Amino acid sequence: MIDLLIAEFKRSWIQLIRYPIEAIGGVIITTTVFYGLFLSARYMVGPGFQFGDRLDAIVVGYVLWTLVIFIMSDIATGLQSEAQTGTLEQVFLSPFGAPRVFLARAVASLMLRLALILSILLIIMGLTGSRLHFPPTLLFPLASMILGAYGLAFIMGSCALLFKQVQQLLGLFQFVLLFLLATPTETWIGAARIASFLLPMIPSANLLRDLMARQADLMLLPIAIALFNGAVYFALGLLVFGWAERRARRLGVLGGY
Amino acid sequence: MADTTFHADSRAADRSNPHSLAALEAHQLQKIYRQGKQTIEAVRQVSLTIQPSEVLAFLGPNGAGKTTTIKMIAGLIQPDQGWVRIAGHDPHQNRRALRLVGAVLEGNRNLYWRLTAQENLEYFGVLRGLSRHVAQRRSLELLEQFDLTHRRRTAVRDLSRGMQQKLALAVALVHHPQLLLLDEPTLGLDVEASQHVKVLVRTIAQAGCAILLTTHQLNVAEELSDRVAIIQQGKIIAEELTRELIRQFSGSSYQIEFEGELGAARARAIVALGASIHPGHISFAGSSDLLYQLLDLLKPLPLVQVKKDQADLTEVFLKLVRGAS
Repeated sequence: MIDLLIAEFKRSWIQLIRYPIEAIGGVIITTTVFYGLFLSARYMVGPGFQFGDRLDAIVVGYVLWTLVIFIMSDIATGLQSEAQTGTLEQVFLSPFGAPRVFLARAVASLMLRLALILSILLIIMGLTGSRLHFPPTLLFPLASMILGAYGLAFIMGSCALLFKQVQQLLGLFQFVLLFLLATPTETWIGAARIASFLLPMIPSANLLRDLMARQADLMLLPIAIALFNGAVYFALGLLVFGWAERRARRLGVLGGY
Repeated sequence: MADTTFHADSRAADRSNPHSLAALEAHQLQKIYRQGKQTIEAVRQVSLTIQPSEVLAFLGPNGAGKTTTIKMIAGLIQPDQGWVRIAGHDPHQNRRALRLVGAVLEGNRNLYWRLTAQENLEYFGVLRGLSRHVAQRRSLELLEQFDLTHRRRTAVRDLSRGMQQKLALAVALVHHPQLLLLDEPTLGLDVEASQHVKVLVRTIAQAGCAILLTTHQLNVAEELSDRVAIIQQGKIIAEELTRELIRQFSGSSYQIEFEGELGAARARAIVALGASIHPGHISFAGSSDLLYQLLDLLKPLPLVQVKKDQADLTEVFLKLVRGAS
């Protein structure tokens, strides 16, 4: 399994650096879009208004949204394009089994994605003057959010496996993700607040905003809720993916485009 | 090709030995697809057996059920009924059975185009269950054997189609499979590349690997296969040794080409033996005794050739497919 992980890391790395313009272009476009949004917001509220920690919270939400989109596209778009190029069937011919191979791919590409996202974050902070904090405790909500993101990515990957054409669905899903990650649900109260704990990634995104933008202390209960939420969505994603693989084998649509 | 010593499977059993374990046994495979209220019987009671070192050409018109059958054998499609054993292991129950299968499923689309030839081999080696070290060693061996060493650092997208196809074959062999599934391995290749791939396929089989080959190029199937199975509308309509099948469809008449003039008396004698005379050649469908009498009559005219009517696999295929439809 370690050999598979290293092989997948090497494959992802080579595919990224062989055409570096794509990776650099991705970073520039993502940063520019955010900067455009930031300038529009500043224009609307007027030059005298200070964003304060609200800007920092928005930066965290936007960067998390970008990370989750990267994770989604790794699995769902990757599956779709591999179905087109014919390598998907070769992956399903592996004695490791598809879920393990895709899990290894997810872990391998995560390292690269985190490096890219860090560059985007630093550029945005430089452009907007946002000052975020990176306490070591943020690893917990970050891990729980990544777990949840991979859970959703595997569910979208299942759709790609069964229906192949998921580009439009992915496009629409980006807005759902924007809602999940950028809405400050920590300000909600009552039933809406409890309901927000059940939605994917929201408890983790809340915690990350608290830690990075508001320098709040990490409390045990919220982190337990976030980790539980992430683990449940991750397990659900893997279960759905396993089911979709079996169904695709029955329907004869595995790899077919 | 630099070196044709393959190590595809040192455990290659003697295919003349009836007790050796078949590389592939597929028994009564059935697959029905449902599209709305419509049901399509893609594959009906298909059984196939291939011994080590044997090449089976699996032929049929488009939509006959070849690809569905191959994918059921590879564990990519779940059969509704029937079972598959690869060297005794069921790929649908036991993933480890997939270590015994290699496949080139559709032309050259089995490779990562941004990776080089060597990177593809090393990656797929690990994906098939080899350790990184073994995959690296095996990659270098295969690059050498497939005459690709000089292009090992070239990205797949920059290789010629013939080289891509050779690389896809090498990738399918990286883990020493006992069964190789080849879907149209020479499609779209020029004459030289096609010839090269045919030599490789023969060498792989000689090294002990069983090969299931589908192709629409029937001359390729005739050249490479030991046995032929023809499928139509999901059902196997013929399965026979290639030579035997061609023999069955070959005529028993002879064509004798000669030079010079026969003359009236000799022509009458020849017609009396039951032969018919055409300009430059004679058709004869009698016994071999009479054939030699006819050849005596032709003395001393120079003979260009004496040829028995011989069918080819294309004729056999068309007759069988048209007969069954």
